[in-house]
Amino acid sequence: MPGRRIFSIFLLAFGLVALSLVGLARAADSDGSAADLKEIKSEMRQLREERKRDREVIHSLEIKVQQLETKDSKVETTTQQLHATDQKLKETTVELQQTNAQVQTLQTKVDAPIAASEFGDAISRYLGTHSFTVAGAAGGSFNYDQQSGALDGVSHVSQNSFFFDWEPMFLYRPTDWIMFEGVISTAFGSTGTGADLSTADFQIFLNDYMTVVAGLFDQPFGDWYESQSPMWVNRFVTAPLPFGAEAVVPGGEIGVQLRGGMQFGALGQDVDYTVWGGNGPNFSSNVLGAAVSSPTAVANSQTNGKSIGARFRIYPLPVDSQMGRLELGASTYNGKWANGNWFNSWGVDFNYFIGNLQARGEWMESYRQMPEGMGSDNRQGWYVQAGYFLNDLNVPGFPDKLNGYLHRFEPLVRYSGVNQRAVSTDDIAGATGVGQGGFQTGLVPDFGINGSPATYAPHAREVALALDYWITPSIVWQNEFDLELPQNGGAFVSPSGAVTPAGPIPNDRAFLSQFTIGF
Amino acid sequence: MRKIFAAIVLATLTIGFVGAPASAQENISPAEHKRLFREGAQLWPVYCNTCHNARPGSEKAPYEWDLIIMHMRTLGNLPAGDVRALVEYLKAR
Ligand code: HEC
Repeated sequence: MPGRRIFSIFLLAFGLVALSLVGLARAADSDGSAADLKEIKSEMRQLREERKRDREVIHSLEIKVQQLETKDSKVETTTQQLHATDQKLKETTVELQQTNAQVQTLQTKVDAPIAASEFGDAISRYLGTHSFTVAGAAGGSFNYDQQSGALDGVSHVSQNSFFFDWEPMFLYRPTDWIMFEGVISTAFGSTGTGADLSTADFQIFLNDYMTVVAGLFDQPFGDWYESQSPMWVNRFVTAPLPFGAEAVVPGGEIGVQLRGGMQFGALGQDVDYTVWGGNGPNFSSNVLGAAVSSPTAVANSQTNGKSIGARFRIYPLPVDSQMGRLELGASTYNGKWANGNWFNSWGVDFNYFIGNLQARGEWMESYRQMPEGMGSDNRQGWYVQAGYFLNDLNVPGFPDKLNGYLHRFEPLVRYSGVNQRAVSTDDIAGATGVGQGGFQTGLVPDFGINGSPATYAPHAREVALALDYWITPSIVWQNEFDLELPQNGGAFVSPSGAVTPAGPIPNDRAFLSQFTIGF
Repeated sequence: MRKIFAAIVLATLTIGFVGAPASAQENISPAEHKRLFREGAQLWPVYCNTCHNARPGSEKAPYEWDLIIMHMRTLGNLPAGDVRALVEYLKAR
């Protein structure tokens, strides 16, 4: 830096002038003694040395100044950079403020009720207001029946057959108070492939206590037809005897129901009712013991009116009591058949479950007035069953995985029976598919019936043992062993009306294995 | 008997043919949703195990429960209030 150099030259000049002034003074002061000269010389030496030191100091100061200058310029660059950053920050803040304002505008728009409803509308338009789903069930089974005995001259034939049954159910809900339910049963059984309409009805929810069901429906009599017959619901492969080959009450009806339920006490303490009317019962023939069949399809085949039925259930245990669920029910179904003769029936039932245990049972009786003083055709039927889930069974020493499999098992036992005054031989011949010149004509064995002729005994009894393996709540592999233990008594009646007392009827064994999926 | 039958039909048609929503859950407060859910959770293992093994909510889509709960309400004649609680629980999975 030139300024600093000028300053050091000036300092030097000032030093020389001062020195020469001192020298002048001394010269003037004396006449020049050698001692004085010597002193002056040494002073000059000192001064030279001082000047040298000063130079050095100046040099080092210059270096320091240079260093400081570099630092200073660096600081300046940093300051400039900081300035730039600051500027950018300011700009960003402005942008952010603008974005915020935009977001706020958008939010106000979204929050506005009109926008929310528009969104809802869009979703509803996408889904539609009518909803539809398909449920139902499918199952395949293998039936082995020993058929050690024959009835009424029917030859000994073993039955080893596979069966398959698929029952798609369609549920359609056009509004939140109307629904349609339709079930088509398709099966490959002893007569080959067949399909029939098993349920088709409208369900109209009038208010909290009244629902109208109109169409073709399962008979709301007792628990079995309506709430136990679907194959994934039934704990056994077969139906209990009073709902199988020798049904006591017809399994379906076409007509109208009014039904509903309400709580009468604490949560879970309910009562409910179902009343219905329809075309009435029908039978395979006019002879004693003829099987009940599907509802009368043509109203004019009845001479005197329709059927009427009523069913009441009560659930006395509150949910909070932790005492399980108990259902007690009573039903009646009455109507006229063919020639204006009465058909009356009534029944009681119970269902109880607590924890892993479930038990149910029904008792029912029907009375069929016969033409021309034939005496009435009375029937009684019953069953009791119990099952226990092995959910909590942990065999010590078994690996967890094995215990896990065990938990899925449910062993069950069922005892059922029917008493009829007589059985129609036509029903047996048509149903078992045996004895008719060797070719299959009938429907049994078929899905849900083991095919044993002993189930056609007038006093049929059966013990069924089952072991269910539940894969999910509605997917099950069921294995059932049936012991037919028919009692003596009753008679067989031919189509012409000839009556033959039933002699001792051989016992029979059957084994059924079935895999079922409920959708 | 004909008269009884006619009376049933007539009663059905005349008594408030209004159409009560079977399972509608709209326009209720969050607190009410919570109450229904809790009640549904209490009822599910009891009611839904009565006729068959209780089927969990996760098996079906919420819109399917709207249909199926109507079906179950008919079969079981379930009280309407309980049905509303059950469907709330089932839809929540
Ligand atoms: C009164 C007896 C009963 C009660 C109580 C009951 N169900 Fe069902 N459920 C049935 C029957 C019977 C079927 C089979 C219907 C068919 O196949 O015709 C069924 C079928 C179903 C199905 C298959 C789809 C369908 O609509 O058929 C589901 C899912 C189901 N039930 C869930 C439930 C739930 C959840 C509850 C508790 C709210 C419940 N069920 C209570 C009797 C009952």
